[in-house]
Amino acid sequence: MSTIKEYLTTDHRKCDELFAVMEHKASESLSDAKEMVQNFVNETERHFQLEERVVFAEFEQKTGMTQGPTQMMRHEHTQVRALMKDLLDAIDENNNDKFFGTSETLMILMQQHNMKEEQMLYPMVQQHLSEESEKIVDMMDSLVVE
Amino acid sequence: MKLQGLSTDQAPPLSVPIRFFLTAPIFGILAGFLIFFTDASSLMNRYSVESIVITHLLTIGFLGFIMLGSLTQMLPVLAGAKIPKPQVVSMTSYIFLIIGCISMMFGLVNDNEIFTTIAFIGLGSGFFLILTSIAIGIKTVQHLNSTVKGMAISISFAFSIVFMGLYLLYGYISKDITSLHFLIANIHSVWAIFGFAGILIISVSFQVLPMFYVAPKFKPFCKNRVVYIISVGLVLWLFLNLFFEEYAFIAKIWLSLFFLAFATTVWIKFNKRRRPVSDVTVWYWRSASIFLALGVFLWITDEYFKHEYIVMVATLIGGGFILSIMIGMLYKIVPFLVWFHLNAMGYMSIPTMVEMIDKKLSKIQFLLFLASLVGFIFSFYYAEFLKPSALFFTLSMIILEYNIIQPILLYIKTKKTKPDFDMSMFQ
Repeated sequence: MSTIKEYLTTDHRKCDELFAVMEHKASESLSDAKEMVQNFVNETERHFQLEERVVFAEFEQKTGMTQGPTQMMRHEHTQVRALMKDLLDAIDENNNDKFFGTSETLMILMQQHNMKEEQMLYPMVQQHLSEESEKIVDMMDSLVVE
Repeated sequence: MKLQGLSTDQAPPLSVPIRFFLTAPIFGILAGFLIFFTDASSLMNRYSVESIVITHLLTIGFLGFIMLGSLTQMLPVLAGAKIPKPQVVSMTSYIFLIIGCISMMFGLVNDNEIFTTIAFIGLGSGFFLILTSIAIGIKTVQHLNSTVKGMAISISFAFSIVFMGLYLLYGYISKDITSLHFLIANIHSVWAIFGFAGILIISVSFQVLPMFYVAPKFKPFCKNRVVYIISVGLVLWLFLNLFFEEYAFIAKIWLSLFFLAFATTVWIKFNKRRRPVSDVTVWYWRSASIFLALGVFLWITDEYFKHEYIVMVATLIGGGFILSIMIGMLYKIVPFLVWFHLNAMGYMSIPTMVEMIDKKLSKIQFLLFLASLVGFIFSFYYAEFLKPSALFFTLSMIILEYNIIQPILLYIKTKKTKPDFDMSMFQ
């Protein structure tokens, strides 16, 4: 059984992989990449919900910190969601410049967001929720995306 | 556990790194002008006043400014480092360093003790202020990764080269240039290139290549050992150089092998990168790895030519490797910072990073820069290549300044409008 930190870190890598597949396909043909873009968007959305609805909620409840780091991470999720919407719009408009301009920004934003989570927030979460770790991983496994 | 580094508040204000970034190409332009008006024979001698002045306009004014600006930005955002009073430190050290750099130019060129003394005070105060603040910032980092550890080692080398630099400058003030002066000058330059800049670039590349280009991650051996091995190599080189000069080439081979390996690794990582997008920054990284490989190779073979080619080595490594990486970094970091800060303030409908800088102009800038480097190398054999190369270099720096000013103008213009969202709840 993996820890919360390992579970979410592995999930980041999965999203990175889908991002790379999506960009690769888009570089060949933007119109053919719609399915890959949708896969990436869905998986990233699922990851955000794992964090927001399960891990952050448990962390906030346990520590009472609702305005701290989880609030900032939620804010960055909002930024990423807006960029993902732009990506889908770019596909619909068949706008190559808009797609790669957005994907560039999204890539850097996501990577620095992941780095903050993996290097600071996840260790913090793991420390506070070590006893509930198994239960939280089960909850993440059974989450249905809204 | 502290929560440093997780809020956008932790990122220093845009002005902190940007003032360094926008000033750097101006020093590049100044250096280009000086090269244009200097004769080739003076530039062939690494210890001529002209060579020293031009080198320092580029190493302090251009490279140093970009590296220090990047450190003040990257350490808080990526590592949660808490640099004390970043705005005051950045502004004060910036003013000291500019005064120091310009005074050094006037002081050395005109053999004027007053200017050289001002340079001594300005550069000493400016560097110690910003390096100490960065060192304090690094001490606050709770989860030290290989990049931050490398930055810490690089900063230690920076302190050493500043001490040595001040000693060398004092030699010009007191008019006491002994053989020790030239020995220290050699150590100062090798530690600056490989210890400060080299280690910093290697450490930052551990994060930047996977982050910006989705290149494969560096192996644990590279991330955990290489910086230490290079540091030991530099200390060994110092020891041999001081006491057993005839064996110093062993340490040179040691250092060259690892930098050659780094050049090859960068090239391979770009081949294996998952992002198909190729922009001018990829070209800069690729050309940097070629110039680095050529540079270290020549540094070794130069032993057998009695250091006849040392200025060419400096051109290949300083210009071709370090300058290329710094310019490439500027093209990525400036648009991202503008986007990041505007977005955090609630401006959502802004151009993407890619749209902020004209692609054609950045390519022209790259080609001019590349042409100038090749020209400088040929001017060792054909002096008539020097002036056109200096012109190309100056032009490339003017275009670089224009290119990176565009995102800042967009930032200023956008800030005058109303944001799409009220972000006060996140402040």
